[in-house]
Amino acid sequence: MSDFVSAVGIEKIYDNGSKVAALKGVDLAIARGDFAALAGPSGSGKSTLLNVIGTLDRPTKGAVRYEGRDVCALDAHAQADFRLRALGFVFQAYNLIPVLTAAENIEYPLVLKGVESGQRRKLALEALRAVSLESFADRRPDLLSGGQQQRVAVARAIVHRPSLVLADEPTANLDSKTGAQLLDLMEGLNKEQGITFLFSSHDPAVLERARRVIHLHDGELRADEVRR
Amino acid sequence: MMRLAWRNVWRNRRRSLINAAAMGFGLAAIMFGQSLILSLQVQLIEKATGSITGHVRIQRGDVDESKFPDKFMIDPEPGARLLEKDPRVSVWGRRIQTTGLISAPNASLGALICAVEPEKERLLTDMATYIKEGTYLDADGKGIVMGRKIATRLDVRLGEKVVLMAQAADGSMGAEAFRVVGLHETGSESFDGQIVWVPLKAMQEMLARPGQANQLAARLKDITQADAVAQELDAALGPGNVRAITWKAIDREIISVQAFQNAILSVVLVIVFAIVALGILNTQLMSLFERVREFGVLMSIGARPGWVVRLILAESLLLGLVGAAFGAMLGAVLIGTFGRYGLHLPLGEALSYFLPFPSVIYMHPSWRLHALACASLFVITLLAALPPALRAGRLKPAEALRHV
Repeated sequence: MSDFVSAVGIEKIYDNGSKVAALKGVDLAIARGDFAALAGPSGSGKSTLLNVIGTLDRPTKGAVRYEGRDVCALDAHAQADFRLRALGFVFQAYNLIPVLTAAENIEYPLVLKGVESGQRRKLALEALRAVSLESFADRRPDLLSGGQQQRVAVARAIVHRPSLVLADEPTANLDSKTGAQLLDLMEGLNKEQGITFLFSSHDPAVLERARRVIHLHDGELRADEVRR
Repeated sequence: MMRLAWRNVWRNRRRSLINAAAMGFGLAAIMFGQSLILSLQVQLIEKATGSITGHVRIQRGDVDESKFPDKFMIDPEPGARLLEKDPRVSVWGRRIQTTGLISAPNASLGALICAVEPEKERLLTDMATYIKEGTYLDADGKGIVMGRKIATRLDVRLGEKVVLMAQAADGSMGAEAFRVVGLHETGSESFDGQIVWVPLKAMQEMLARPGQANQLAARLKDITQADAVAQELDAALGPGNVRAITWKAIDREIISVQAFQNAILSVVLVIVFAIVALGILNTQLMSLFERVREFGVLMSIGARPGWVVRLILAESLLLGLVGAAFGAMLGAVLIGTFGRYGLHLPLGEALSYFLPFPSVIYMHPSWRLHALACASLFVITLLAALPPALRAGRLKPAEALRHV
């Protein structure tokens, strides 16, 4: 497996009156097909690193290369296009659009891509099927359980066939059983569709499921453990 | 995008309804104001031109006060020929308007004497329709029509004689006895208490000015052509001391009143739209604050900053559409109702001092102005949404996602 995402010398300093270094020169390479977890306690820099890799935030120093191209140097417009083309996101708080149904939420990246409506609906239903929620297509998020909402969020993250899905504490708001089911789902998508997953967690039960665990502590990469 | 925008509009149903209602009431108020002012202006012009002024007038160029051309006599025939052959002219008549003295055995009064060609004047103005007692003038007779108020002040009744005196062009005083043939009641102090009507021929004899007049008054088929007709008549009349003018040069006070009313309407319009704009701005800012995280999500899944800006503008536009639709309907119902049943305005009574003016206004719509008000509402709606939209467009995805 070749590296297709690499973070080189990433530093991130937040300046809210006093300067706080969230990342202190992190180097990290993600291979295509990885099912990797960022581990570490709260404040270790997991979310910040995910945001920087996902171009949701710009590093103070360093670069993120996606297939060799520095995506941090792109303007906001081009970064949005990059995310739409290559990335999928799953958030801790699900973050579905409350006024749209499950299927419409999933369709949204396709709307932004300009896919025509019939094709959009077809792909959204396929994605819903992949997360075993096809019968909930027309339900709004408030009528879905937390686990169902997170599965819809996963379906939204994969519907446009991204090569990398970034998930920030995806199981943190779920009970252990539902969290395990969500990990089953993500692992299945990783194996069957070859989607690379990079997710963060501080839950040992979740970290056990990753094939690679990257340990962060106080903004520094402390260990990179590959399991087979 | 429009589907998401539409649903976002109704996300907080009560707030959106209040906002749309505020816009609607604002627009309806503007439409009502536009219609009221326009109806007043149209009625004012119709009454002023239809009672005495006419649409276009030919008179001496050196008349210093067009309402009282007095001794400025002209040979009316060159102008009469031009008016006769102009297809835009509906009716025209020769006149002598002069100030004079009217005497009865027990009293005398100063008055404006309007000497007219009765058969033409019947079509030129609506004064004949105000006669409550007696008849209108006979072209060859020596009858006089006056308001009831003058008759009361002079203590004369129908059939009795009065004497008119006026200064002729040569400075001598002309005098003639006229028999009261008709009494009119227009409701206007000026018309009922200060103006009398006599046949032109009798006045020409009285002033020893046979065949002369001091004005030709014309009514056009379409009043909006007055400027063009007057200009062409002026050119055709040549370089002499006779010229054509429109009602605007005679009833200058109406133009001032129009300008004043339009200025007030503009101020009201600005105030109403400012209130609407502040409402929209407030709603969109609150909505933005509530949805910062959601904009972060949209941006993280690939929405460009410009797309987020357009989404907020679309929401505002849709809200504006709902408000405008409601306002246009409400405004149309109000205008329709007062167009049918009339609106009693004390203003009518105030104006009727100067000219016959009904105290009930029948409103009619001005689609061009109403469309302009609707368009302004949309523009205001978009402009008010622009600051929050641009602010949303500048959000950084990671910061927006952290927003609580």
